[in-house]
Amino acid sequence: MGVTFNVENLCYKYPSAKEDTIKGITFDVHEGEIFGLLGPSGAGKSTTQKILIKLLEDYRGSISYFGNDLKSMGNSFYEEIGVGFEVPVHFSKLTALENMKFFSGFYKKTADIQELMERVGLWEYRDVKVGEYSKGMKVRLNFVRAMLNNPRVLFLDEVTNGLDPRNARIIKEIIAEYRSKGGTVFLTTHLMNDVEQLCDRVAFCINGRLIEISSPRDLKLKYGKREVKVEYRENATIASAVFPLDGIGFNDEFHKLLKSGKIETIHSGETSMEEIFIIVTGVDLK
Amino acid sequence: MSNLRKLIAGELKRMVKYKILPVSLVTSIIWIVLLLFLSEEEARATAPLLIFTDVAVMSVLLIGASHHLEKQEGTMRTMMVLPVSQGQILAAKTIASMTLAVESAVITSAAMFFIHGVTFNYVLLFLFVVIAGATHAAIGFILSLVSRDFTSMLGLLMGYIVIFTAPSVLFHFGVINEKYEWLLMISPSHSASNLITSAVSGEYRIAMTAAGCLYLMLLTAGLFKYAVYPGFKGNAVRG
Repeated sequence: MGVTFNVENLCYKYPSAKEDTIKGITFDVHEGEIFGLLGPSGAGKSTTQKILIKLLEDYRGSISYFGNDLKSMGNSFYEEIGVGFEVPVHFSKLTALENMKFFSGFYKKTADIQELMERVGLWEYRDVKVGEYSKGMKVRLNFVRAMLNNPRVLFLDEVTNGLDPRNARIIKEIIAEYRSKGGTVFLTTHLMNDVEQLCDRVAFCINGRLIEISSPRDLKLKYGKREVKVEYRENATIASAVFPLDGIGFNDEFHKLLKSGKIETIHSGETSMEEIFIIVTGVDLK
Repeated sequence: MSNLRKLIAGELKRMVKYKILPVSLVTSIIWIVLLLFLSEEEARATAPLLIFTDVAVMSVLLIGASHHLEKQEGTMRTMMVLPVSQGQILAAKTIASMTLAVESAVITSAAMFFIHGVTFNYVLLFLFVVIAGATHAAIGFILSLVSRDFTSMLGLLMGYIVIFTAPSVLFHFGVINEKYEWLLMISPSHSASNLITSAVSGEYRIAMTAAGCLYLMLLTAGLFKYAVYPGFKGNAVRG
């Protein structure tokens, strides 16, 4: 598996800012993985993405893209990447199809617009002006726009923000399919649901610094409690008991409870990504 | 089709969809009606002013309106991640804005011919409209880049008109003495007005016409290279 992006000691300062927004971050994005950059608003996630997609260029440190210095890449770089912005990015007086045809016209290789729009449920609204679209429809159209050129690397910023659960699931299924075909995804989000369901690795970003980089599974093992919580009926009320996970096969009390037939729920002490984020960074995501 | 041609086609299509071209046509119709009520002599004196207004003011307005609308719609960002150069994007927008100026010149020229039987050197007029249009497109970009929104851009445009355009109009009506004309040529508006007036009237002062052309071309190149191009991407990204 190759390295899509190698980022070394990246720093960035906006011209009007007094101090660096990105303060020396280092990470790799591997080919064929979904890499999540998590953090609250203003943490530096979007700035990092803007640097990786060459919208911000006066950075310090080094970034290589498949072994090539990112700064040396020309416009052909944009043939290879797809960018899904958080905010709508379409001409409101043009129909959805007119928008997609306009943008796809600049790429050498393009995806099937109809297939993409059908997958996200927009094909039947293709001749409606984007200005008449709902927020959720615009978010889905943003995703289609990002996929127009069959990108090798996909950048997604808060990709399911504003979507209902059904459409969010469709988008996540397409992203997972894209990854299974070898595509690389750089995902910036504060939605932990997306992270848990999609990301192979995540990095926590706070105040322009990366606090921890790991896989969601490893983080859960590291920060989760090794215990089992059982809720059961007792005298018409719900009681609960917590058992250590280690040696649970030999825990007589636990076995007795299992056999009692009074159990309502059993949960492992696995911690959610949101809780892990708060533990690691000390910052609430909301 | 090359990327530049696709970008220009996109700009022109949006000018129709966003009703900019139809509004411009309505303005031209108003000019035609105005010319109907003027004598031939009055029309000869007024036509350059009408063309100049479209070239100098409408070009700036179009650039400003489309710039701030596209920023508001977020399309500026997504344009920046297309496999096209920033130069191509700027060129397409400039050419689209000049289309309005040329359209106005064509309609006004046609009206002058059909209403008053007046003809003039159309090739030179086209050339001067293109040169002046490009300069004012660059000015439009600069005003857009330094303004927060379209309203504040209109405020800056008003300031520009008071400083650079109003003296030229005053000169046109004889309020400013002719001996100051060379000094007035520093104003892009006056240089543009001078070129358009000379093409319509057929009265050329070679040195002043050549100086006006050269000045506007150098000014356009300088403004695009040192002000518009370096600031455009950062402005588009900020959204």
